[in-house]
Formats: sequence, structure tokens, C-alpha cells
Amino acid sequence: MDTAPEPFLVLEPEVAPRLEAVPLILPTVEPVRWRLSPALVGAAILAVGFPLLWAVWLVSGLFDRWGALGWAGVAVLAAGFGLIGLGIGRELSGLAALRQVDQLRADLASGEADRVATAARRWLEALPQHVAILPAVAAAETPESVLALLRAGPVQALREATEVLGRTAALQSVAIVAATPSPALDVLTVGWCGVRLIRRVAALHGMRPGMVGTLILLQKTALAAATVAATEMALNAATHAVIAHPLLRHLAGDVAGAGVAARRMIVLARAAAAACSPLSRG
Amino acid sequence: MIASFLSASRLAADVLQLRSTIRIGITGLARSGKTALLTSVAANLLALSAGRPALPAVSEQLRGRKLQVSVAPAAASAIPRFEVASHIAALAADPPRWPARTTAISLLALDLDVPREGLLAPLGAQRRRLEFLDYPGEWLLDLPLLGVDFADWSEATLRRLEAVECTEIARPFLAFVRGLPAGVKADEALTVTGHRLYTDLLKRLRDEAGWAFLQPGRFLMPPPGAPPPWTEFFPLPGRSPLANLMQSRFNAYVEAVRRDLMSPMFGDLDGLVVLTDLLSALNQGQSAFADAQAALAAAADALRWDQSWTEWLAAFARLELPPRSIGRVAFVATKADHIAARQRTNLAALMRRVTRIPDAGTTSAVFAVAAVRCTEDVVETLAGRPVSAVRGRIIGEARPARFYPGEVPDHPPDEAFWQHRFLALPDFEPMRLPEAGRGGIPQLGLDSLIAFLLMDLL
Repeated sequence: MDTAPEPFLVLEPEVAPRLEAVPLILPTVEPVRWRLSPALVGAAILAVGFPLLWAVWLVSGLFDRWGALGWAGVAVLAAGFGLIGLGIGRELSGLAALRQVDQLRADLASGEADRVATAARRWLEALPQHVAILPAVAAAETPESVLALLRAGPVQALREATEVLGRTAALQSVAIVAATPSPALDVLTVGWCGVRLIRRVAALHGMRPGMVGTLILLQKTALAAATVAATEMALNAATHAVIAHPLLRHLAGDVAGAGVAARRMIVLARAAAAACSPLSRG
Repeated sequence: MIASFLSASRLAADVLQLRSTIRIGITGLARSGKTALLTSVAANLLALSAGRPALPAVSEQLRGRKLQVSVAPAAASAIPRFEVASHIAALAADPPRWPARTTAISLLALDLDVPREGLLAPLGAQRRRLEFLDYPGEWLLDLPLLGVDFADWSEATLRRLEAVECTEIARPFLAFVRGLPAGVKADEALTVTGHRLYTDLLKRLRDEAGWAFLQPGRFLMPPPGAPPPWTEFFPLPGRSPLANLMQSRFNAYVEAVRRDLMSPMFGDLDGLVVLTDLLSALNQGQSAFADAQAALAAAADALRWDQSWTEWLAAFARLELPPRSIGRVAFVATKADHIAARQRTNLAALMRRVTRIPDAGTTSAVFAVAAVRCTEDVVETLAGRPVSAVRGRIIGEARPARFYPGEVPDHPPDEAFWQHRFLALPDFEPMRLPEAGRGGIPQLGLDSLIAFLLMDLL
């Protein structure tokens, strides 16, 4: 202790601004990226390239035979590839809409007033039935009030509409399971019913996913399903309400799997809504 | 075996999401910085949720997972809500203001979505409500009463009061107690007078002498509602009808403390953080430090109880639930930014020795924390020798100050320590808050504290 220096409190001669914290740099964990397989790319090049070369070769051959025949070939080729291009375009726009949900979710959770307001406006513009709330969103001053407006307006309305879709699909699935002659076919019919339900919920949220988009949406829905599984208790009540009709109750009781299918449809609708909405929880 | 069973059942409950609320009590001896700590916890968790680089130790435990945090809406709870936004605004203001000292109980509730990892990842995020209860520090010092009887407590209390340096504070009460005749009858007027004198004494010892180890704590911070008649007692040694009455009221008080520990409003804690400003105690002198040391040691001993099978059997015999122990206890030395980095290790070691917490404990730990950082580390040359110090602006002063309060001992100080000066801590202003608080609050060691408290969840 005797070697310890004397304590001190000294003021510096110069005035200085308020201290700033040194910005923290957190170690970033790189997300696992899906790398394209060369074999897959090669297969894709062959799958697209050879039909294209064959079509060009065919059209040039038709022109050699007769000019009008060649033009007819060009028209058929243009129509075919045009429709394929249109499908690809729709897929890409569907994928962009799905990606936009993730971006909107991040923006709405950012807590920054401008970012939250812009994201809210962008989302509402994709939902024409809810644009009436835009002036109120523009007038809201804090991110919390913007989020509260969204939760009270579009989120609530979408939730109710999703419930209706889920209940309708649940009724259909009970009927389908009862009418399917073979239990093995239940998987196919109920699966088809589920995919259709997911696409309808996506459309409700302003998205038109194509085939690839639906597959990605299925994956997102599977992930979101766990977050809505906590509502299992409420789900039982919802299922009982759906199959309250004596005939349906009889079917659900007698036909193995009918009640389970109905429950799955309601869960699926809620999970799909959670995957499609940037503000699914609140 | 019981501990293993409890751990397994807790894990099962967590996996099945049967218990969705984690409640952590934040308590501390007077002016230890509970409000600043709660404000910083909320601001930094919200900043982390918004993707800002806050709380490195928590980020490390998350291993790339994205934590979602939001302030939970006020439920139908009788406990007032902790005002996060106004406290952050006060710290972010220019010039900044320290949040006003709170005297009432309050609750900070946050909703956390923590993504699972590994095989459980497909199950999605687990949602938990994290409640921080601003638990009165005075109540913490009631816990040691659970293990003593009235006669022993009375003797020990009167012995401590007779050793008080400022005798004029203790004189009225001691004169009253010593003046009571042997075999005095149980008279309500005497009870009321004795209780009033004793309560006044406790308040003066707290406010004028800076004492912390004052029992019963509920005399200084009564719970909400009308006080029941059995709260009126005072330490009285010997055997007499009045002492018997005091003993029965003391027993009722201790039973109420035990009941509160398990009540849904103030009890049922999963974790507890005990804050202490040890640096100020070092400045206030030997008796103030000894008082803080005694208070901390008593609290640590009271919180170290482990459930035994006899307690379980006793609880079942009373047709009650077995007592629930607090899962994690953290003893925190606050204002760690008032000393240089080299000395913070000593501060944590001092806290460890005072509380007698083992080095590698998983259920209890010690930390040196600055919930709201005010200074930066500098090296000052003094008589040709480099001295590690801190630099910051004192509130109301435009020029920054360089500060070295004295050497912080790594064990309870001996007589030689008190021969040297240890400066009072200046009132530094907080560092500028990044993005006016949305980027979190600069802190020291708070991330390790949160990571420890949420270890099971993360």
C-alpha cells in the first residue's frame, strides 16, 4: 500500500465535448450460403441450351423449305418461349415479394422512425384494401404508434381473413378425407388442399407465388408453424367450432384422420400468415 | 438428488414452454444504481434486437441467432411499470440528466423471442417474458431473519447499536429499552412507543450515518397497503410479557417474509441481482465499509440456502408447496467505470471475498459493472510514474477531469488501508448515447451480467 500513488482529481485545462463511446464491433457470423453445384449448373445449361438450339435449327430448316413455314415456326417459338418467360417472370416477382417480406420485417423491427414509416407505407401499398390507413400512418410520430396502427388495422383484418380461410379449408379437408376411398389417397388430397390454402393466404397478403415461390413459402410456413404451435389450446376450441355441425362431427369422429386434417388446416393457415406477414406477432 | 430433479423439471418446463416468465429481482443497498441498471438493461437489449452492436457477451452466446426484444405491455399487475422511455430520454438529453432516484417498487417487463439452435431449431423461436422487479434492498436484509430467533436477534441488534459512533442517534431508543422494568407487562402504549423510537433510529442511521445493514427492512420500506398490527415490535432482550408479545410479532413478521418469498407479486424469483456501491463505502470509512460488508455477507448467506429433503417434508406436512430457491444470484459492484481497467479486477475480487462466493460457481457470481459508462481509461504520469486513471466530464463542468480515487484492495481492507485516503466518487456525466439511446447505452460488464442471468435461456 505504501508504494501506491496518491489519489487525485485534476481538471484538464481545455474544454472538451461530451465523451463518445468507442463503437463496438461484434463478430459477425456468416450465414451458411447455398453454393451452386457445377453438376446442377451443367445439367441446367444442357436442359435449356439443347432445346433452344434444336428450336433454332428447326426454324432455320423451315425457312429453307418455305419462307411462310419459317415465319410460322418463329411465331410458335416466340409464343412458347414467351409464355415460359412470363412464367419465370411471375416466379421471380413472387420470390421478390417473399424477399420483401423479410426486408419489411427487418425495417419494421428497426425502431428507426423513418425506416419504420417507409416500410409501413410500402407494405400498405401492396394491400390496396388497407390504403385508407395511410394518412394515419403518415401522421404517427413514433415507430411504436406506426406499429400499433398496423396491428390494429391491417394485421387484425388479415388475421381474421386468414381464420376464415383456415376454417373453410378445415371443412373441405374433413369432407375430402371422408369422401376419399383409400387412406393412402388422404395424403395427396389433404396435401393439395394445404398447398392451395397456403397460396390463398399468400394472395391475401398481396403475394402471388409461383411454383418455386410456393415451395419456399412451404419451407417458411414450416418454420413459422412452431411459433404458432403455442396456440394449441385455442386451436382445439377452433376445431370444435368448425366441426360443430352434427354431420361433420359424426364424420370427424368416425373417419380416422378427419379431425386431425381439420386441425392441420387451421394451424397451416396461421403458420402461412405468420410467414407472409411482416408483423405477424403482436 | 432434489437439486437434479429440480434442474430436470425446470429444463422440461422450458422445453415445453410451461413456464413462460422469467423473473429477476434487482435489489441493492442504498444509492447503488438500480434505476440506471434497469434502464441500461432495457436499452441495450432493445438495441441488440434492432441489430445494433450492443452486449457482446450476449451476442457471443446467441451464436448468430437473432434475438427479438420488445417492451411488454403493462398487464393487470398491481406493480407500477418501470418507465424505460423517459429514463433513456433523460440520459440521452444534452446536457444529460441521471434518472430520478426511485423509492417505489416497479417492474420492467420485456418480451423475448430467442431462436432455438441445433436439432430444436425447426421448432422456431421460444417466447419468454423477462421481468425485472425493482426489489427493495431493505427487504433483502430481511432474509437473514429467517434463520434467527427473537432473543438472539434482539441481543445482536442492541450490541450493534451500543457500538454506534454517533451515540446521540441511538440514545433515545437505547434509553427506552434499558429503562423498561424487569417483567414489564405487555402494554400497547409501550409497544407503540418502542416501535416508533426504533423505526426513527433505523431511518436516522440510514439517512445520517449511511448505514445499510438495518433490520427489519420492511420498517424502512413498508409493502403497499395498510400495515398489520404485528409489524409493531422492537428488539427487546430478556423474559417478560412484553418480550413475549414482541417475540410473537417478530415470528409473524418472519412468517410474512417467508410468504412473500413465494408470493406471485414479490416472490417467485428465478434470479436476483444485488447491487452495491463498494467504492463509495471505501470512501466513507471503516465503519461504513464494515456495515456494508456485514449487510452483504448476511444477504449472501441468506441466499445460499439449498433445499434439503427436510424442508420438503416440512412443507408437505404443512400442506404447502416446498420453498423455491432462487436459481441465479449475482453480486454486482457498481460504478466500475470510476476506476481504471486494472483496478476493476480488484473490485470484483473484493466483492467475491466480502460475499464469500466461490470462484467457479454456476448459480452465483460476482461482477464489476458500470451500467451507464461515463469515463474512458487513460494513463496519467504522476511524479514520473505512470498511473492508470479514468477521464470524464463532471456534471456541470465543461472541462474533463482525470480521476484516480486510490488503490482498490482485492480483499476486505485491513487497518493499514484506512491510513490512506480514498477519494469520494465525482458525479460524472454519462457518455453520449449512440443514436439517442436506440443504439444502446455504453456500459462495462453489463453484457456479462445479462449473459449469466439468461444462460439457461440463451
